[in-house]
Amino acid sequence: MADTMGHTASTTTARNTSAALGIFLLALAPQIFELVWSFGTIFGWGSGRGPLQVVAAHATALATSIPDLLVILSAVPGAIAKYLSTGSSGQVVKATLSSDALLALIYSYPLFAVAIGSLFVTIRGAQDYIGGVMLAALALFALWASSDLQGMHGFSFGAGTAPRMFGVLLLALGAGIAVTGLATDGPNVGHYSWRGPFFVAAAIVFFALAIRPLGLVVTAFASFQIAALGSHETRWIEAVIVGACLTAGCAVLFPYILGLPMPMFPRFLIQ
Amino acid sequence: MELFANLAHGFVVAFSPINLLMCLIGALVGTLVGVLPGIGTIATVAMLLPITFGLPPVGALIMLAGIYYGAQYGGSTTSILVNIPGEATSVVTAIDGHQMAKQGRAGPALAIAAIGSFFAGCVATILIAVLGAPLTKLALAFGPAEYFSLMCLGLIFAVVLAKGSVLKAIAMIVFGLLLSMVGSDIETGASRMAFNIPELADGLGFATVAMGVFGFAEIIRNLDHGAEMNRDLVQQKITGLMPTRKDLTDSTPAILRGTVLGSILGILPGGGAVIASFAAYTLEKKLARDPRRFGRGAIEGVAAPESANNAAAQTSFIPLLTLGIPPNAVMALMVGAMTIHGIVPGPQVMQKQPDLVWGMIASMWIGNLMLIIINLPLVGIWVRLLRVPYRLMFPSIVIFCAIGIYSVNNAPVDVILAGVFGLVGYWLIKHDFEPAPLLLGMVLGPLMEENLRRALLISRGDWSVFVTRPLSAVLLAIAAGLLVLTVLPVLRAKRDEVFTESEN
Repeated sequence: MADTMGHTASTTTARNTSAALGIFLLALAPQIFELVWSFGTIFGWGSGRGPLQVVAAHATALATSIPDLLVILSAVPGAIAKYLSTGSSGQVVKATLSSDALLALIYSYPLFAVAIGSLFVTIRGAQDYIGGVMLAALALFALWASSDLQGMHGFSFGAGTAPRMFGVLLLALGAGIAVTGLATDGPNVGHYSWRGPFFVAAAIVFFALAIRPLGLVVTAFASFQIAALGSHETRWIEAVIVGACLTAGCAVLFPYILGLPMPMFPRFLIQ
Repeated sequence: MELFANLAHGFVVAFSPINLLMCLIGALVGTLVGVLPGIGTIATVAMLLPITFGLPPVGALIMLAGIYYGAQYGGSTTSILVNIPGEATSVVTAIDGHQMAKQGRAGPALAIAAIGSFFAGCVATILIAVLGAPLTKLALAFGPAEYFSLMCLGLIFAVVLAKGSVLKAIAMIVFGLLLSMVGSDIETGASRMAFNIPELADGLGFATVAMGVFGFAEIIRNLDHGAEMNRDLVQQKITGLMPTRKDLTDSTPAILRGTVLGSILGILPGGGAVIASFAAYTLEKKLARDPRRFGRGAIEGVAAPESANNAAAQTSFIPLLTLGIPPNAVMALMVGAMTIHGIVPGPQVMQKQPDLVWGMIASMWIGNLMLIIINLPLVGIWVRLLRVPYRLMFPSIVIFCAIGIYSVNNAPVDVILAGVFGLVGYWLIKHDFEPAPLLLGMVLGPLMEENLRRALLISRGDWSVFVTRPLSAVLLAIAAGLLVLTVLPVLRAKRDEVFTESEN
């Protein structure tokens, strides 16, 4: 870290903006995910809310929760005391709030605050800072996901007690790691490449979607080729030959020798 | 000396040529299936269980023991060669074993794993014969409070075995605990964090998460720019298949300690066998003159957990035979097989069916013997697999893992989840978080919660129960002591490893 002051300052500003932007997107990730998911309902896949409903519900939740936030913030000290003593946080509030509003309150707002805060601090170890913030975000998400579960009743645990306990613990640890990234110099975030992750994930998703309708032979061969796209070292003739041999081997090994119930050929060919 | 007479009787039963053949076939098939990346011990035993149905009871159990040990050793082979642990116990082997493979020493790693397992198997067999019944009392002394404290201790082991920051390791454990909460609550049946996805109702499978954060993440990382050079170097410098004299002298004490630790912990049903390999690794790292070698290809880091793992697998038969409690999923499958053959595990089985019980104990030893006979010559073949160019190896591993995960539950969602965890694992690597503590947290999470709830229910909400019960207090004190020992050097002098070790 023997950079000159001026140099560090300029790169830090640039990085801070992108870090803040990233955290801002992370704060809206569940909402965006549900929106993307909801496009499926247009084509009649899956069940759930349509895209317009999703946008409307989350927009209102994000906007109208601000007054609730103020109410809750004023009641925080009491609520924490109550949570610690009984483990049932804000039953009164929960009864009146929708799940979307809770998502905004528990997950999105705190991360908005972190995103804004990131603009004003010097990030000395980006690897730790971003990592810590993301873990804390996971913890907040888990707290939201377990917010509908029953808490302690008497001295026996409810279904939600342990998840909330570990959620709070992870939140604290994530915050601790993020603070380490602010307080001490550390390595920057490593370089992410897109090609390997994208094609390996694509091969896996293709396998999962195709194994039932298309059967093992087609799926294994196609997934092999998709995964092979992930490396620039791939030689195509070789990949096709090895892929074919591997597929043949799997087709003998898994359904016949190991007796696993697995479709072999595309469904439309058999019928 | 009646016990030795029993053991001898068992060997007479097991040593018939046909039973030896059964065991050999079982160990061979188990190894061959277990070595496929993506198929762990549980999956292997479950898949191969039906082939034993047609055999007479003793033959079937002997074959199953062979399959079990073969599968377990096959799992260790994949952990060492391609860094894909098929079950919780081989997670630890993967840490140093894969580093050894990267340094061209896959042969010695595989050989020492087999030798350590065999030695531990021999000791544990005798231990079962001599101490089987009395040792059961130890398991009975463990109430929920003790188990909770034991789980805490187990989780602290995971902190100690991490290379980098202690805070990050603890965060990974808690992340694992949180992941283990997904699914149905054991007591109330309430669906927790499952988002109405039916496949999540049963929780996240260990194989799914392990395959993701270890297997897929490793593949994705190896595809990064700059990683190619690293890999090519590995392929060129494979040296020696067998361990050198120095390797053997280095690992002998590790094997001995691992065996003792594994034998003791294996007796505790529920989590004992899992903790054994972590505990053995931690002990070696704490005793080592230069703990920094661990995580960078120390042979003790393979020898100790492998022998502890095998010793624990063996002694975990004690609670199964005497109390009828299966200590892990594989043992539960074994109980299933035993029941099919008309043996109901429990306190009476030792008196009622001595042929089967002692035959089985003897067959476990024979299973270990077969393992070493089959695997020492095979080491050369496994190592040669590393010479396959990575551009062909990685799509094959992806396919095998995908088929393996799919075959566990016939659920496409599991495959997608494994892919998601692969991306999570890639992210973890980029932020220098280690996946091993995460997996341990995930395995121990449900046990920990269950025992915590039970302990508090019995003590009527009194948290002091964990320190007033002597055994539990001792376990917690060891855990606290270990944590302090780990944190102290960090406080004293900032660890330089975190910064110098960016390649990993």
